[in-house]
Amino acid sequence: MSYLHLKVPPTRDERLKPCGAFGGTMDDLVSGHKEGCLSANGRTFAQTTGCQLTLSMGMAASIPNTVVIYHGPVGCGAGSLAVSGLSKQNQLARGNIDSIGRVWMSTNLSEVDVITGGEEKLERAILEAEERFKPHAIFIGNTCVPAITGDDIDNVATRLQERVNAKIIPLHCEGFRTRFVATAYDIVYHGILRYLLGEDKADWRPENADELRDYQERSKRTVNLLNVGSMGRVDEVELVRLINAIGLEANVYPCFTPPEKFVKVRDAALSVSICATHDDYFVEHLKELYGIPYVLNTIPIGTDNVRLWLLEIADFFGIREKALEFIEAEEVELREALKPLRAFFEGKTTFVSTGEIRAGAQATMLEQDLGMQVLAIRTHHYDKFGEVVFEHFKGRDDITINVATAQPFEQANLLRRLQPDIFLGHAGSNVWAAKQGFPVLPIFGPANSYMGYKGVFEVATRLERLLQNPAFFTTLGETSTLPFKEFWYDEDPYTYIQQTQDAA
Amino acid sequence: MASFIEKPRFTCPLGGALATVNALTKAVAVLHSSQGCGGNSNGAILGAAGHLGSGYCGGSSVPASSISEKQIVFGGVARLEEQLNSTAEIIDAELLVIITGCTAEIIGDDVQSVVRGYNSKGLDRPPVIFASGAGFKGNSYFGYDSVLQSLFRDYVVPSEKKTKGKVNIWGVPPSLDVFWEGNLLELRRILEGIGLKVNTFFTNQDSLADLKASADAELNIIVSPVNGVAAADVFKEVHGVDNLITDLPIGAKATEAFLRTVSERLKLNKRLVEKFLTAEKENYYHFFNRISDGYADIDLQRYAVVIADTTYAVALTRFASKELGWLPKLVAITDTVEVDQQAGLRSLFSKELENPDQTVVFETDTSQMQERLYERWPKPTGAKYDRLFSPAFVIGSRLDSEFAENIKAGHLSVSFPISNRFVLSRGYAGYRGALHLVEDIFSVLVAKR
Repeated sequence: MSYLHLKVPPTRDERLKPCGAFGGTMDDLVSGHKEGCLSANGRTFAQTTGCQLTLSMGMAASIPNTVVIYHGPVGCGAGSLAVSGLSKQNQLARGNIDSIGRVWMSTNLSEVDVITGGEEKLERAILEAEERFKPHAIFIGNTCVPAITGDDIDNVATRLQERVNAKIIPLHCEGFRTRFVATAYDIVYHGILRYLLGEDKADWRPENADELRDYQERSKRTVNLLNVGSMGRVDEVELVRLINAIGLEANVYPCFTPPEKFVKVRDAALSVSICATHDDYFVEHLKELYGIPYVLNTIPIGTDNVRLWLLEIADFFGIREKALEFIEAEEVELREALKPLRAFFEGKTTFVSTGEIRAGAQATMLEQDLGMQVLAIRTHHYDKFGEVVFEHFKGRDDITINVATAQPFEQANLLRRLQPDIFLGHAGSNVWAAKQGFPVLPIFGPANSYMGYKGVFEVATRLERLLQNPAFFTTLGETSTLPFKEFWYDEDPYTYIQQTQDAA
Repeated sequence: MASFIEKPRFTCPLGGALATVNALTKAVAVLHSSQGCGGNSNGAILGAAGHLGSGYCGGSSVPASSISEKQIVFGGVARLEEQLNSTAEIIDAELLVIITGCTAEIIGDDVQSVVRGYNSKGLDRPPVIFASGAGFKGNSYFGYDSVLQSLFRDYVVPSEKKTKGKVNIWGVPPSLDVFWEGNLLELRRILEGIGLKVNTFFTNQDSLADLKASADAELNIIVSPVNGVAAADVFKEVHGVDNLITDLPIGAKATEAFLRTVSERLKLNKRLVEKFLTAEKENYYHFFNRISDGYADIDLQRYAVVIADTTYAVALTRFASKELGWLPKLVAITDTVEVDQQAGLRSLFSKELENPDQTVVFETDTSQMQERLYERWPKPTGAKYDRLFSPAFVIGSRLDSEFAENIKAGHLSVSFPISNRFVLSRGYAGYRGALHLVEDIFSVLVAKR
């Protein structure tokens, strides 16, 4: 699929034609998507979400010793103000010496710049970033305004590269270009592939012949383990443990990875994704460019999907038996540990809301590992990568499926009807469920464990803890008012989903 | 031409406007912008504002037209109308405020005509007004002003009659002043204490009805030399109400001066005012003086660095100098101030600082604070008799904690952004607020005891 010759990679809208608005059953979603009739769906009432800029720059900023420059008006990127301290913790957790911390700049485009262009300001920002921080790389995030007025950030990057030591990486992540923020991952990987992998001619392999032989031998059983920016170090440690246990080694990319280390990606035997939404663009390009095969089917959350994930890796290396032996021992141990907890979850109902891949796997885990009953799953979008993780729910018309990024109005309607015992959801959506009085467990977060066998146990203990005393949520429900009119709760929750192309 | 900014300590007009609308009870914003403008703003106006929650219809509940390439090419008016109608249908609001972002303004959508069309239908729906929020027009302080101007022009009902002793107060922008609600509640309390009827618009003591009926006030009081000043001119032009522009009072001395100024301006009953001032002062020092043992026994005087927007920089410098007896040696003003305004703003410090020209700098960039300090104080050389900048304290934002650490100073986040504290009803203004500020600052000083 090589798109690397392009300055601007295609959006997810163009490349994968995902569905962003749907309500119904799992089977209708899968068949509807296959027939291609869902990708044009929109909403006549909509609530605000993020954009690909925010996500792109968040991912870029996770790479230590870099500066990110928002080329745009002063507000783009202001969301970073909420997490300025958090990123330091994330780096420290990985033992990274990130001497400059999280630094972002805004080119602060004014009305005058809208007319005369903002390239000169961008130049000065790049030069000053180099002077002040001496970063390894500078990411430029292009925003809506200069994209419309026609600033050429690639030209600026090329022009300034010879004057600047930092690698200048332009990212075309203008918010208006896509409805699917996951395009952000493609944008950042595009930059990494073009600027941190491809053009670096420095020899990173050992020079000494013995060391080189050793390095090459190890590379044959080393995988690129692809993380995501919102996961904690604790999950990385667990996944590396699983990979080590079957005799392989793992290097973790791309988030929190020092930029100079990316070039080693090229030497691995296999790329291992934990989320197709995050990585398909990257692994496919690594395969084409460097012949590195990949594993992309699932996320290692819940025993079923951990098993699937680990066996796919093992099969590639021809070590299935060894992996099975390990998996079975782990599963026995985990089942034993879960025993006292399982009784607690018997008959409890749950509602899951987050990105497609995580949603499917987490919901499966809640049913398969804990014995809970899933009443509804909401996913941010749905595309072809959803099929594997939703396998467990095929043919289940007892489960409500809603495709929506946030859109708390649809969620509130569904929750009022379904009355689950517990809600597991994405940041931003959680609070609305909480205000309806439902106990909420965040479905991801850097402070906690979710993945691998450890993750199953940890999520179980957190759920049990939460249900032991939901007083906060009960009171919150009694004392909060949601902004939706009462009649709304009696309406079809999908009233505002538009099934046709004729959106305004 | 404004330069680039490192870690700007504000967001765009859309973000400032959104925070402002969110803070009005039962008012709901409708964003007409690219899809991420709301989500990005939420980080700044909620997470970086002392973890202010989504509130009634903020956060991911904010209605948004989320225009994309299609509308940018063909126009976004139809999508806005659709969103406006559906919002009125499903959301329980008393006022809708359309806030436009960059893309909608660049493509030139005629939002005013959408507003006229909607309002003229006369249906049983909340009225709608419109505030410009394009990012390239300024920063979030501009967005605060923009919403106020629209409210004053298009929502406040004109009134020929003026009510003696009624005042409106603003200048404290929600979220950008992380302590805005606590501050406004205290300002309301003390102004009521000297016998006034007070509108503060943005607290749980206010209502849209009060805002609508605010044109009969005798005076508008703006507690900021910059924020909301342009809106005050609009109020005066449209509703004929005079204004008084003052600083944000923090501490007994500043608050007493503030109340006397208001009292003189409105010719209030002096005896009643003095009675209130005496009682408040007595109460204030009853509590304030509890720091005396610690102050005297362990030497809690500090060199101070103040890093804040214009309003807070003036207020905190005065407080540190006059109430705490500290020595402000660097005051960094972090909101963008045009060069021709700088001299005027420096003069606001003439009573607090020996040499405002030397001490006050206009610096937006976090990484430059240390340099600004060492332009004013000798950099440590490691010599035996180095005159160190110590003991010191930085009253700034979350972004300044690293700087404070580097110069071995104490630190408290008071100015925006504040992501390392939860702020609920706390305010720092007036008498009661100042006591909170003393508690918070001095708690840092003994945190390791």
